[in-house]
Amino acid sequence: MLQNEVGKCISCGFCESVCPTLPAAGYDLWKGARGRVIMGHELLNAVREGREGNMDISDSFYSCLDCFACLQVCPAGVNAGVVSHLARSLIVGKKIKGNQNPYAEMIVAATMKYMNPLGIPASSDNWAEGLKFDQGSTDVLYTGKMYQLMAYTGGLNRVRDMAGDHVSKLMAGIIANHPSVIRMSASQRDRSFQKQLNNSLRNIVKLLQAAGNHFSYPGPMEPYPGTFLYDLGYLAEFEEYANRVYGFLKEYGAKRIITVDPHTYDLMKHTYPEFVDGFDLEVVFYADLLSGLNISKTDRTVVYHEPCHFVLREDSYSTPLELINRAADTVLAPRNGKRNRCCGGPDELIFPDLSDKVSQERYSELISTGASEIVTACPICLANLSKERKTRDMADLLAEASSL
Amino acid sequence: MAFLEELKSSVGDALIQKHEQKIPYETDASYFQGSEPMAVVIPETVHQVSLVMKLCQKYSVPVVVRGGGTSLTGSSIPLSGFLVISMARFDRILEVKPQDRYAIVEPGVRLDTLNEKLLQLRHFYPPDPASSMAATVGGSISTNAGGLRAATYGTTRNWVLGLEVVLPNGEVVNLGGKVLKRTAGYDLTAMFVGAEGTLGIITKAILKIWPIPETKGRILAYYKDIEKVGLAISSMKEKGITPEIAEFLDRITMNSLEKARGMHFPESALYMLIVDISSTRESLQRQLDDAVRVLRQFSPTDVTVTTDPAEMARIYEARKGAYASLLSERSSATERVVIGDIVVPASSLPMALRESEEKLKEDGVRAALFGHIADGNIHANIFADTGNEDQMKKVDRFQEDFGKIALKYGGSVSAEHGIGIEKKRLLRMEIDASGNPYVMDIMKTIRKSFDPAGIMNRGKMFD
Repeated sequence: MLQNEVGKCISCGFCESVCPTLPAAGYDLWKGARGRVIMGHELLNAVREGREGNMDISDSFYSCLDCFACLQVCPAGVNAGVVSHLARSLIVGKKIKGNQNPYAEMIVAATMKYMNPLGIPASSDNWAEGLKFDQGSTDVLYTGKMYQLMAYTGGLNRVRDMAGDHVSKLMAGIIANHPSVIRMSASQRDRSFQKQLNNSLRNIVKLLQAAGNHFSYPGPMEPYPGTFLYDLGYLAEFEEYANRVYGFLKEYGAKRIITVDPHTYDLMKHTYPEFVDGFDLEVVFYADLLSGLNISKTDRTVVYHEPCHFVLREDSYSTPLELINRAADTVLAPRNGKRNRCCGGPDELIFPDLSDKVSQERYSELISTGASEIVTACPICLANLSKERKTRDMADLLAEASSL
Repeated sequence: MAFLEELKSSVGDALIQKHEQKIPYETDASYFQGSEPMAVVIPETVHQVSLVMKLCQKYSVPVVVRGGGTSLTGSSIPLSGFLVISMARFDRILEVKPQDRYAIVEPGVRLDTLNEKLLQLRHFYPPDPASSMAATVGGSISTNAGGLRAATYGTTRNWVLGLEVVLPNGEVVNLGGKVLKRTAGYDLTAMFVGAEGTLGIITKAILKIWPIPETKGRILAYYKDIEKVGLAISSMKEKGITPEIAEFLDRITMNSLEKARGMHFPESALYMLIVDISSTRESLQRQLDDAVRVLRQFSPTDVTVTTDPAEMARIYEARKGAYASLLSERSSATERVVIGDIVVPASSLPMALRESEEKLKEDGVRAALFGHIADGNIHANIFADTGNEDQMKKVDRFQEDFGKIALKYGGSVSAEHGIGIEKKRLLRMEIDASGNPYVMDIMKTIRKSFDPAGIMNRGKMFD
């Protein structure tokens, strides 16, 4: 598969012009889309010739955001995001010496042990306290802990900053073998942001209920969906993990799951069926269920940052934009739709500096529209674009406009 | 190694030495495989470029300058022992002044990025190579890029007013300026246009810009006979109609766009013409009608007209990506596309196109033909396994025959892609055919006067 993808490339360089990580990496070509395709070729050749263990090549692929911006402009239909994913899977699958990313190993170990990548204990996941659900309903709200995790990632990166690159890598290696150590980072969570994220989750519940939906919620024991395992190329682990998550949801009685973030929605809808035999859950995004909501337009102009998973994948998904537009006059960034620019979020735990540069550029572009607020529909985007200007989740805006 | 140590202390983090990181710099958009460079520098300031060049001069290290890496002739790949200087971090648009019709930009700015900015001021920079999404200002100046709009606006040469250049000895010089007229000694600005990085490094460019035409319409005409395609365009020009662009595509190219872009073309069509007419709102329809009338005189199988911006953009983007889309038409996974690039006077096109098709058959190579037909520029996109010596011999033979067709009609072996590694022999052939071999000596003398140590893109263009 990797050979097929890189073999289609004529090296025209169109993809480089839209790849967010290339300028963020100071135009170091191997961290740009065309460079990754070239490196994919190189990796294949190295494996064929048995010299892969002498190469240090994985940063090229791990720095890819998987945003698929490259695919939109490629005249030959090459997807450097897919190339990166296949290359990571090859590196992991073959256990290529010297190319295992320590942070990826750390995340995988913690996920397999704690059913979430940062070892967050269920006891600290209390966002739903006091809310009433229709327990027993086969429609199940599945947060995948994505909002909850975002309060912890910044703290983890602050620890990395303090420790420096060398010590951080050593620590990541230790955590990979002793995942419980990662729980020390939990004390670094951003409590104020956690409050905001919890409030967004509560607003999602209120919106769904105000729109007439009845659903249950499994509570703090719900597992993370395993997005990182898949994205980082740990396919064997992902397969095992996805079956665990599916088992959990089935045992809970789910027939339809209501997801609240684009990553989980995309993964459950498109990837789970490939890895879970007999996968039979219907997957929806919560915005799909809000048509009955009574929304009054506020008097503000907001700029909507579209999540890559909604606009740069095959089937563009515009329901969030339609809802936001009902709640406030909505503008889009100069690069929107199929030209959308990623927030940098997917690199946050592996290459935090790169992620920060990408998000800074996107943030500048968003505020250049003059809108008073940035609105997102993804907790990762929210975390990465929360800077000086007010940035809020779609659920918060909709709750306000629905007087909830 | 003393050179690399001094380089490191001069540019710090801007230096890349790791083997794996250097690999993407070994290739560009051509089929040539370069060597691993000694190192790669991505400078941020003119001062750094100057320091790097002083060191290269001191240690006689050969240099290749890289822009968008879109060369089709191997012009931007390193040969053995080269230092690569990437100008990517020079990516700012410094000044735009529509009232004086100029923009000052750094060389790493991509052409589409520049035009997006200019569009906000209802202006544009006309040179429009198909690679404009990735191609940079510096690279397109260095190859004298032409592109789709050259029939009306000419090539890059017509749009460069001034340059800031770092010479091979590290000196920084300013050439030309902000004015549309200048007759002050030799035109050294023009010398750098098409020089392929052999004379110095462009660090800033003053470009002429132009107001965007008020409106435009696009005609698609389909034919079965290649000569009729050429005659239709010649006739159009004879009648005083200058299309802003006039592109032709053959069936193989159309097939590739159907596969890669989901486009649909009439099955019976063997050739397609894309003709843009730009005009005022009041006269657009009349001018489109005039153009369609001429095109219909040459037995098209179908003619359609659109003024819908989204539809026009879809066709335009597809045409611009045609080179890359063509890979879907190769007959084996090891084939690459070797691209020929000749130009003839537009009135000679009907004969040149027919003869090109005949030569393809005679030389036993398979190629897709497309090109910027209004200015007589034909591209033969030859499918070949570049590792197969026999096949490459046939490709070389065809490239020579293709070049001879151009020369026979008073054209050139290289319309807009430059010489690079690929067309060195053809450049020699063109100069010899002119009957003035001394022209090559003049070129060599000029090159040596700028670069006595012979470090700038050594081995490219001519030896």
